[in-house]
Amino acid sequence: MKRMIFLLLMTSAVQAQTLVSGRVTDTQGEPLPGANVVVKGLYDGSSTDLNGEFQFSTGEQGTHSLTISLVGYQTLERVVELTGAPLNLFIELREAINELEAVVISAGAFTASDENRRTMFKALDIATTAGATADIAGALNTLPGTQKVGENGRLFVRGGDGNEARTFIDGLVVLDAYGPAAPNTPSRGRFLPFMFKGTSFSTGGYSAEYGQALSSVLALDSKDEDIHTRTDIGLLSVGADVAHTQAWKDGSWAGKLQYTNLRPYMGLINQEIDWITPPASLELSSAFRQKVGDRGLVKFYGNANRNHFSLYQAIVGDDASRQSLDLTNTYRYGNASYRQAFDRDLFWRTGVSFNYNENRNELSRSTFRERETGVHIKSAVEKSFSDRVELKGGVELIYRDYRAVWKDESAGSITQSFVEPLWAFFAEADVYANKKFVTRAGIRAEYDAHHQRTGIDPRVSMAYKIGEGQASLAYGRFRQSANNVWLRSHPQLTTEKAEHFILNYQMIKNNRTFRSEVYYKNYFDLVTFQFPVGQLPMGFAPFTQPVFNTGHGFAKGFELFWRDNQTFSKTDYWISYSYLDTKRRYLNYPEAAAPGFASRHNFSVVYKYFITSLKSQLGLTYSFASGRPYHNPNETGFQTSRTPSYQDLSANISYLPTSQIILHFSCTNLLGRDNIFGYQYADTPGADGQYASRPVRQAAPRFLFLGVFITLSKVKGVNQLPSL
Amino acid sequence: MKQIILIALCLIALTSPAHDKKYEEAMTRQIQIVYTSEKTEELQAAVNSLDRISQAEKDKWEPLYYAAFGYVMLANQETGASKKDAHLDQALKRLDQASLLSKDNSEITALEGFVHMIRVTIDPNTRGQQYSGLSMQAFGKALQQNPGNPRAMALMAQMQYGMAQFFNSPTTEACGLAQKALAQFNSGKTEGVLSPAWGKGMTEDMLKRCQ
Repeated sequence: MKRMIFLLLMTSAVQAQTLVSGRVTDTQGEPLPGANVVVKGLYDGSSTDLNGEFQFSTGEQGTHSLTISLVGYQTLERVVELTGAPLNLFIELREAINELEAVVISAGAFTASDENRRTMFKALDIATTAGATADIAGALNTLPGTQKVGENGRLFVRGGDGNEARTFIDGLVVLDAYGPAAPNTPSRGRFLPFMFKGTSFSTGGYSAEYGQALSSVLALDSKDEDIHTRTDIGLLSVGADVAHTQAWKDGSWAGKLQYTNLRPYMGLINQEIDWITPPASLELSSAFRQKVGDRGLVKFYGNANRNHFSLYQAIVGDDASRQSLDLTNTYRYGNASYRQAFDRDLFWRTGVSFNYNENRNELSRSTFRERETGVHIKSAVEKSFSDRVELKGGVELIYRDYRAVWKDESAGSITQSFVEPLWAFFAEADVYANKKFVTRAGIRAEYDAHHQRTGIDPRVSMAYKIGEGQASLAYGRFRQSANNVWLRSHPQLTTEKAEHFILNYQMIKNNRTFRSEVYYKNYFDLVTFQFPVGQLPMGFAPFTQPVFNTGHGFAKGFELFWRDNQTFSKTDYWISYSYLDTKRRYLNYPEAAAPGFASRHNFSVVYKYFITSLKSQLGLTYSFASGRPYHNPNETGFQTSRTPSYQDLSANISYLPTSQIILHFSCTNLLGRDNIFGYQYADTPGADGQYASRPVRQAAPRFLFLGVFITLSKVKGVNQLPSL
Repeated sequence: MKQIILIALCLIALTSPAHDKKYEEAMTRQIQIVYTSEKTEELQAAVNSLDRISQAEKDKWEPLYYAAFGYVMLANQETGASKKDAHLDQALKRLDQASLLSKDNSEITALEGFVHMIRVTIDPNTRGQQYSGLSMQAFGKALQQNPGNPRAMALMAQMQYGMAQFFNSPTTEACGLAQKALAQFNSGKTEGVLSPAWGKGMTEDMLKRCQ
């Protein structure tokens, strides 16, 4: 009987309840409601109330772990002894640095992403911007930091010329990112926006991972595996395309064939250009994605393109002197990458890109051929040590082989070539002091095996959250090999260099974005000719005169950006303004002067409106650029003349009669303004002692585009809207 | 002494069913809250309880499923986009875990589609394309896994209805599917007390708009 009583006592002891209570606060002592307090492995536990207080009782005894968790905070474990005696606990949770709330480095960067929902720009925005005609550079030209250079079409960033902006796909370089274009007509990017899930456009201060770019980096992230099997057909006023995507459980394959021919269009709409054969191109592209195991992903993208046109051009001041130019461009690009996650904190990615670009120019009595082959291999590791410290490091090789051959009926043949193997190492650390303050410090070392030179470029940026907004600072040194045009004839030329200083403030709230930035940029070691313009002695051609890395320059300015898709229903608009003051002494400049591509004021407004009753999206873009400098040999002074301002109002409309058909119409320069980009002058003065001139203007006042896009897919709601 | 042995044996024999009963009771209580509560604190507390149950019941998908459902409800109550997204992220995290415990589960797939559907509503202009595709795909997959899942039908019908309205096309197909879903709700038998049972009211509401 005694034993029974003992047993009963035992039982009641086992069932003795321990009262656990306490308070959960953040590190500032503020109460945290909604936190989950759990005895590990058991049901027992409770949630904290509005005062951060909790209370529960448990029948368990002995040593147990208490887990306290709350979204946005680091989960805490506390060992407790459950004896039946009440426990009162004070618990402090540390904030977790998650990407939703934490400060991000924003100096210089415009990020467009489908995945990250906290960006001011989306991939679709690029596709639907009027005036851009679905060209990535065209759309980015409505952002601050860019200068409109209508006769070229490339990205010109903060006083840098078109070669200073470099494109990367999945971290791998694209050597010729723009297709060929007739002299003084804009070229288009070779890659269409719909291929990418994210676009990061940096106007300065970019990561140590990116080299060989003086002014800007356009980093494009290709899409992961497609999830819908579908066939797309496009009928365009300038050609046709057909694409098919096959999706399976862990991968997809997509192929696209596109034929473009501007002949019918050029036949209808009169052009300034004296075409023999208007541009026509055939392009085949293919993408393959396969998941490997749980955490690996293989990506391959390939593109083959052939483009041809021929035209007549005349020497300035002598219209009878017309000569034919026949250009065939052959382009191949391949990009293969592999990404593996070892666990949540360790990633390894590696990839290789292959570039081949060949231009074959047939002139009346001579031919000029150039070809460049480039291979970029990169391997990088990313590791996060906690949610406060992330480290990234990698090695890469960019190998370029360039050759140019002139053949002339009278002068014979000349060959110029170079091979440039470039090794680089980069390392970068992101350190969060707390949710509000982050520092990114990086270093990039490049070894140029061609010149046997090593260069080291430090890059630092910081961001601090102030209320709803944040301020960022960035500094970096950048280098880029001299342009092929100079390097081929002067292989001793080394890299050109730049330094960026950037201060940025931005605020993103309720679908509204405000962003302002000031910067200063320092250029040095720019390619400079021995003899400035007009002073070339007899016996020297521009390409045979001595050339040095002694040029220099600066660019400074400020930029404003406002975007709002909240205030007006179904309306999205953004406004950009850039002020630029830049001078450089380079090439044949006798003194530091503003280059011809640099307009002081650039302003754009982009407006998009969805008209439900018409099932249509309407887009309007207005762009303004103040006059550009040019050198008039009939005047004294260098680069002192200014063109009239550039103005353009473009519109587009997309009509969706059903979910799988889209009709798209776009028109540039609705007002038909005769924009003049600059003037070309004769090499020698005429009989009157004056140099004859010819304005560089648009090939036609407007460009009209009409397309019908049809998607065939089992899944409803899939259409080509993202690719427009 | 015999009595004690008897009691002890009874206790041992009872342990397992008693445990299941405790699980079911605890679950039923929390499920009621996530189905009906409109109070944020109450919902969060229920989600926390479900999380506690899930970490004790490591082989059961239901606690994770209902915790995810609770986060979907919390997302619906929030007004700010980033808070909504944070809740939906939590929901997806739990659904990922649940689908590891119960493979090819039509209910889990349908709820995942529901999460994508709510993402669309946060910012239809920029997200419509991506997330409506994802949600339609999830509903399609859920119906492949179980052609009689009334929730997958009802949610798909809602998406179809929204798209038909957007394109000014007839809503017949969407309403037909909603009818089918309602019939399934009325005839379908639930497999157990913990099986998902939500969605009938939502379907009835939609059918009112169909008339």
